[in-house]
Amino acid sequence: MFIDKSMTREVVTIGTNAGLDEAKRKMDENNIRHLPVVEADNTLVGIITDRDIRSALPSVFSTCLNDPNEMKRIAELKVSDVMTKNPVTISPMHTLEDAILMMHRMNKGALPVVDQQGKLKGIISTRDLIRAFINVLGIEIPGTLVCIEVEDKIGQMKRIVDAITEEGIPFGSILVARHWDEGKRAVFPYLLTSNVARVKRKLQGMGYSLLDPMKWSLDQLPRAGEEQKPN
Amino acid sequence: MKRTGFLYDERFLLHITGPEHPESPDRLRAVYKGIEEGGLLPKLISVEASRVQQDWIEVVHSIKLVMRFEEACLWGMDILDHPDNRICKDTFETAMLAAGGVVNTVELVMKGELDNAFCAVRPPGHHSEVNRVMGFCFFNNIAIAAKYLQRKWGVQKIAIVDIDVHHGNGTQSIFYEDPTVFFFSIHEHPSFSYPGTGREFETGSGPGSGFTMNTPVLPGHGDEAYKDIIRGKLVPALDVFKPDFILVSAGFDAHVDDEMADINLTTEGFTWVMEQIVAMAEKHAGGRIVSVLEGGYCIRRLPELARNHVKVLLGDEM
Repeated sequence: MFIDKSMTREVVTIGTNAGLDEAKRKMDENNIRHLPVVEADNTLVGIITDRDIRSALPSVFSTCLNDPNEMKRIAELKVSDVMTKNPVTISPMHTLEDAILMMHRMNKGALPVVDQQGKLKGIISTRDLIRAFINVLGIEIPGTLVCIEVEDKIGQMKRIVDAITEEGIPFGSILVARHWDEGKRAVFPYLLTSNVARVKRKLQGMGYSLLDPMKWSLDQLPRAGEEQKPN
Repeated sequence: MKRTGFLYDERFLLHITGPEHPESPDRLRAVYKGIEEGGLLPKLISVEASRVQQDWIEVVHSIKLVMRFEEACLWGMDILDHPDNRICKDTFETAMLAAGGVVNTVELVMKGELDNAFCAVRPPGHHSEVNRVMGFCFFNNIAIAAKYLQRKWGVQKIAIVDIDVHHGNGTQSIFYEDPTVFFFSIHEHPSFSYPGTGREFETGSGPGSGFTMNTPVLPGHGDEAYKDIIRGKLVPALDVFKPDFILVSAGFDAHVDDEMADINLTTEGFTWVMEQIVAMAEKHAGGRIVSVLEGGYCIRRLPELARNHVKVLLGDEM
């Protein structure tokens, strides 16, 4: 679960004195949106994003395009003029959960990973988290997702897992969605089989209701930026 | 009326999957019964099944898989690789017969002895990949037939239309880089149904880019969604591709009464879909179309679905 295991180690970086055109080119060439800014000894001093660059450059509709002095100033802009200094970072011994929660709360798309000396070790981005999410969902293995509505009380998972296990069906993953209807949870077993009709009947026979697939949702959390109500 | 071939062999019932398994011999009995009771047998030209030459299996599957499968049956194992894939001692030979039967059928169409045909075979095949069996499938019958048509008969462009409610991942993977085979699949959206592939962005790769088309249907949808997709996606794609031969992976599990998925295609909806595919074969492929049974698990509905399917091939009044 440590960042160390999931981060991208081969980081594309840029120096403080580089021009914005070079930063833009590096992003385009590598198909990335964040460049950690480092000094010669790999000490992290900032981060620059594609949005920082776009905000620094004049719009094509801008009148300053006709102003030679303004254009000269823009052409001379350096990474250090535009970058976010002292960016939010994470250490290799933080965890994926730390990263997910930080990125969610601070609305960041990537966090530079630095050691205790402030040296850049890697970067963790939404892409790395998506890769981990695909892995824990198990969805690259053939299977079928089922959704069961359960009372929010102890022992429900055991009954469900037992019932499925008795059918000899392997699990790819099992997710529980919270913030569901009052007193309810939605359990999503991803079953590694094509043969789910029988086990669905069995679960219904046990008194569970299977949710209409058109009503499934994992996303019952407030969105980033929306106010989080205290529980 | 068309000279429509019908491949059926009682030996296809020898692949026994045990009680409670949905891919049962009763499925095929139901298909046969529907065609027999519809009075269609006298109108159909019976096609014989025979053991496929193993070379044709190996054009699609790895020799390792073939050997592993044969050994598992000889040793009396009851599953191959995954509990879904139930086998018995006769499964390997049955799969060889099914593939051989489909090859015989497409050969008769190429020789001009048949206009089109329906192959009522077991075990099904569309989930099977080069080196992986899954989802009740062992040899990919339709992929083997397509390779046979290309290599033995030099057919240039083949369209495979997969109407099983599950994505035909095996067939897709076998032809993913092949621009001479256009693979089209309409199925329940992979977030809700096995095997979890067949998303719209899967469109082929390398030289095969653009020669795979996936059209997922959301749970609870049926005839209208199918009509929109067939008219809006399949027909225009085939008008561009202009296949010389159409193969259909005919699964009947999108039926509203089939418990294996959540798609609500009606009996009439199935007929409509098949009519469109046959019309495309008339338009582009000189009427050459061979349909091969894949899934379909509602024993009560299979007779009417198979009967109507064959009637469309015959050009019979409904």
